Amino acid sequence: MMAAGRIPAVAVSALLWLSCTAEKAGNSLIFASTADATTLDPHNTTDSQSDQVIWMVYNALIRYDEDMRFVPDLATRWSVAEDDVTWTFELREGVRFHDGTAFDAQAVKANFDRVLDPEQGHNRRDLFAPIERVEVADDFTVRIVTRYPFGAFEPMMAHVSAAIVNPTVARARGKSFGYSAEATSGTGPYKVVRWRKDLELVLERNEDYFGENGKLETIVYRPITEAASRVIALESGDVDVITHVPPPDLRRLEENPDIAIIKTLSIGAQQFRFHCKREPFRDPRIRQAISHAIDRRAIIDNLMAGMVAPSTGPLTPRIRGRAELGEIPHDPEKAKALLAEAGLPDGFRTKITTTPRYNMGVEIAQAVAAQLAKVGIESEIEVLEWGTIRQYWGGLLPEDCPLEIFIMGAGASSADADWGLRPIFATQERNENNYGYYSNAEFDEVIHEAMRTVDPSERNALYRRAQEIVYLEDPGAVWLFDNYHVVAARSNVAELTTSPLGLVTFERASISSE
Amino acid sequence: MLRYVSRRLVETFLALLGTSVFVFSMIHMIPGDPALMVAGLEAGPEVVEQIRRELGLDRPLYVQYASFLANALKGDLGVSIRTGYPVAEEILDRFPYTLGIAVGGTVLATVGGMLTGIVAAMKHNRFWDGAVMVLSLLAVSTPSYWLGLMLMLLFSLSLGWFPSIGIRTPAHYVLPIVTLGAQSGGTISRMTRSAMLDVLGQEYVRAARARGSRENSVIVRHALKNALIPVISIVGLRFGQLLAGTVLVESVFAIPGVGRLLVDAVLWRDYPMVQGTMLFVASVFVVVNSLTDVLYAVVDPRIRVTSP
Repeated sequence: MMAAGRIPAVAVSALLWLSCTAEKAGNSLIFASTADATTLDPHNTTDSQSDQVIWMVYNALIRYDEDMRFVPDLATRWSVAEDDVTWTFELREGVRFHDGTAFDAQAVKANFDRVLDPEQGHNRRDLFAPIERVEVADDFTVRIVTRYPFGAFEPMMAHVSAAIVNPTVARARGKSFGYSAEATSGTGPYKVVRWRKDLELVLERNEDYFGENGKLETIVYRPITEAASRVIALESGDVDVITHVPPPDLRRLEENPDIAIIKTLSIGAQQFRFHCKREPFRDPRIRQAISHAIDRRAIIDNLMAGMVAPSTGPLTPRIRGRAELGEIPHDPEKAKALLAEAGLPDGFRTKITTTPRYNMGVEIAQAVAAQLAKVGIESEIEVLEWGTIRQYWGGLLPEDCPLEIFIMGAGASSADADWGLRPIFATQERNENNYGYYSNAEFDEVIHEAMRTVDPSERNALYRRAQEIVYLEDPGAVWLFDNYHVVAARSNVAELTTSPLGLVTFERASISSE
Repeated sequence: MLRYVSRRLVETFLALLGTSVFVFSMIHMIPGDPALMVAGLEAGPEVVEQIRRELGLDRPLYVQYASFLANALKGDLGVSIRTGYPVAEEILDRFPYTLGIAVGGTVLATVGGMLTGIVAAMKHNRFWDGAVMVLSLLAVSTPSYWLGLMLMLLFSLSLGWFPSIGIRTPAHYVLPIVTLGAQSGGTISRMTRSAMLDVLGQEYVRAARARGSRENSVIVRHALKNALIPVISIVGLRFGQLLAGTVLVESVFAIPGVGRLLVDAVLWRDYPMVQGTMLFVASVFVVVNSLTDVLYAVVDPRIRVTSP
């Protein structure tokens, strides 16, 4: 009923729309992402599609450069006091938010107060839990005090969720901040001028930017969920850059002279986890056996078209504090011996759960099942859609969780060992973030000591020990491979920035006429 | 006629009420927790719990349904869990795209289907009849997802005639409309052909021919008018199906219509959005069907006599 009355008005607005949406202009770039940004509120973001837009619109106090070193952003200098808990930041002067409001120490304090306030319920509150308080020393000096010496302080401050929003706009918009073009305001090189959900998000150059101005006048983000459509749109020149190139199309694109491929080793790795509270996975020898039974090279070569690299440790080489521990060799004989030693010489039956949300997620599970069968482990494959598998990773008690062996993509969004190991392997009663109920007393001890260690060499030694435990001695997962972030662009696009975090940004990018 | 229409209205309302119960229980029965989806993979338990409370998901199901229904009757479909926007606004924002390709697909399918059907009937058992039948069989049995990609490869990538993805200019509508209309066009073509053949064999057509009427006039004035009746009902039904069927086409061509909205909402366990979208699509379907019935009664007087 409601529909019938509205149709004519709606049809008119459709016609109006046809005439006023953005067409590809001269100095404009169109980027096809896999999905629309969910939010441009850094304190709420949990997906890379949002993160990459946030980095174009906001700045943080410090950030990672392409080699994952910390460089000044809104802060010009920073240092930690003798007590290892008081961090002082000297801020850049003369910076303005997109609406003209001046940036200062009060703005920084307002930001951390905002994300830490439990009343406001921001998704990223946990990330900043080590912060006790933020003090304004003077207009352009801020002191951040942590509850304990926190080794991953800088990675936390370079995280996308530490980006500084315009507190005036954030306060005025409340919960709706970051969910529309009008309710988004930062200091970044580009500002959001239009956002039609699932159609296009348009950024325009911020002429008053404090840093070097961007070369592109506008950047259009266009979500294309279908991988095949994304590739065709790039080949036909309807878009300039695409991300997440599907492995089967990679070779064809590589051979196309109009297209350039950019591969960046990412912070993400693909693993299979175990329900460690369930038999027979309680026994570390069983987990080692499974790890040795899997032929990772076969999976990488045959399914992933070389778009990934074999894992050589629980964290990828792009993560701060990672240890190089080598590949786990494919050794079916050793796997059988370990099974026998653990009292299961004839193997056992199990279930492998996977989801198509991960690149080749189903095919990988099928390959793993076939490889396990060769050492006597029979498995049935269960394919779950993302919303369903996600529910089994949501704080269940061990007896309520039906998973046995399951696929999982893991990465540290702060590119640091603490966030890459602590949430997912430290002991938890429920599987809130440690989805496999992994529990190892020595690991817990080392990881918590490392977290409270600021000295880099001491810290690295502790993390090396933690990684030896979880990767070799008492494996918490089967590490399959480290992901590459694969981006394809028209060859007239120059200086894209692709980060190990899986982001594509355009601060210096330019486009020449083809 | 008035009684007929008012009865249809009551039926429509009941159908929508049933839909709302069905939709509400379905989405709550499928596994998945919206609070977890919103919180993201790295969030802690307190954050998740807080989100759950804010979304009202801690309330008993019947309370959630009652408030959903009460608001829906006022035209308020709630607020999207994922984006925080009013559901009704988002749907109306996106409906023009879906409506555009669904109407385009229906028009293309109807015009194309009827023309080819008539040609086939007139050239019965000759080359053109066979050609049309083979083509329509292909159209009916080609999955629209695949057809969309093939059209993109041919007309966007190789020939460069039409843009591949998005929906901004009239040219953007061409490939999605063809993709969407092909299947229905095939069905309508076959329907028209058999209806025409049926009518052409009737006594009064032969009588008209015997009176020396010109062939064109026989086809248009006598045969087509009667052959149209079954075709109208198919077109009405097909339009409803096309509305629902835009899901795949919208995904392939990256069109932000209602179908895409629904798929994303299901993947995100965005309960208010799923309920709102389903209810909306169902309403349009029911309304179009009722309108078709009324139109049917106008075209064919026999309907009015048999169903007062």
